[in-house]
Amino acid sequence: MVRPPSTRREGWFCAVFWDFWETVLTAPDPDRLSDLGKRLDELQTRQADRTRRPPPSQSSIAFRFATELVAALIVGGGLGWGIDWLFGHFGFHTRPAFMIVFFMLGAAAGIRNVMRAAKEINAEIAEKRSDKETGS
Amino acid sequence: MNLNPMEQFAVKPLAGLDKPLFEIAGHPIYFTNQALLMVIVVAVSSLFLTLAVKPNRLVPTRGQSMAEMSYEFVAGMIHSATGEDGLKFFPFVFTLFIFVLCCNFFGMVPGSFTVTSQIAVTFALASFVILMVIVTGFMKHGIGFLKLFVPHAPWYLLILLVPIELISFFTRPISLSVRLFANMLAGHTMLAVFGGFVVALGTAGGVLSALSIAPMLLIVAIMLLELLVAFLQAYVFAILTCIYLNEALHLHDHH
Repeated sequence: MVRPPSTRREGWFCAVFWDFWETVLTAPDPDRLSDLGKRLDELQTRQADRTRRPPPSQSSIAFRFATELVAALIVGGGLGWGIDWLFGHFGFHTRPAFMIVFFMLGAAAGIRNVMRAAKEINAEIAEKRSDKETGS
Repeated sequence: MNLNPMEQFAVKPLAGLDKPLFEIAGHPIYFTNQALLMVIVVAVSSLFLTLAVKPNRLVPTRGQSMAEMSYEFVAGMIHSATGEDGLKFFPFVFTLFIFVLCCNFFGMVPGSFTVTSQIAVTFALASFVILMVIVTGFMKHGIGFLKLFVPHAPWYLLILLVPIELISFFTRPISLSVRLFANMLAGHTMLAVFGGFVVALGTAGGVLSALSIAPMLLIVAIMLLELLVAFLQAYVFAILTCIYLNEALHLHDHH
């Protein structure tokens, strides 16, 4: 059914021939047409597979855990430092009590973050494995 | 020749534009190389995406199919991470994804500037994400959004757990921005260091000059890796945005 782009310019004979070819000789086969739907579905699932998430590499997982942990420590310590500063502003000298407490809370939050990230990654890997087993 | 690998990250006013454009509260605002790259990225990506879908054919042209593929990619990502009602955030996530992706890719052009290697840029983006999450959460659930910080536990543990959850929530913009920034910074530094090896070996003379081909081949390999990282980091940024939005939309439903 692919018509070479130049046929129109090669005179009426070719045009008639191509029309004949298209309408009579290569008229859509009903079986093929119903098959087309199936093939389209197949292509679509394949496309969906291809646009699925790229697999998390070992180093990216490690990097993710590291940032989660360190960021929580920074936020915790920073919050404590800020509270100390605020109290200091009003004449209560709590430094460094809040910073120490919040640093520890930050460490706990960091571990919580890492556990959450690990859960997410596990779910992702499990999902991928089940996809592979069903062979979609 | 300057062999300092960190030189490439210097933010400086463009040549001929070393006078501040205007001032905000006494701070001079310059038009820097970073600003120029961001303008280019925004202009090129929006021009490409609007012009590519202009023909609007059933059988897409190459450009149109690229635009459609990126659309479907992001839409699928949002749908799988947040479900149907997350799709109203499509414009937000799509813009973020395309901006970060284009910044990463434009940074790969030799001699250009990597916007996403600046923590100021990535942190600003991440702050927008977290602001969006907070605003969405409060709009959807009202004051009930605060339940996000209260896990199921007896009350005496909550004294400890609520601050931990709060800290963990406010780590998000930091880990989100640091991840993108550090990856881009590390990759480009590595490229520059190996580039420095090529120059140093090449000018050493004798056998060593011939050896300079080795780091050059390595640069090619690292360049390919960096292209992957550029895409992957944009993807990670977008998917984490979706995950955070999902939490704001559905609180603890998924348990």
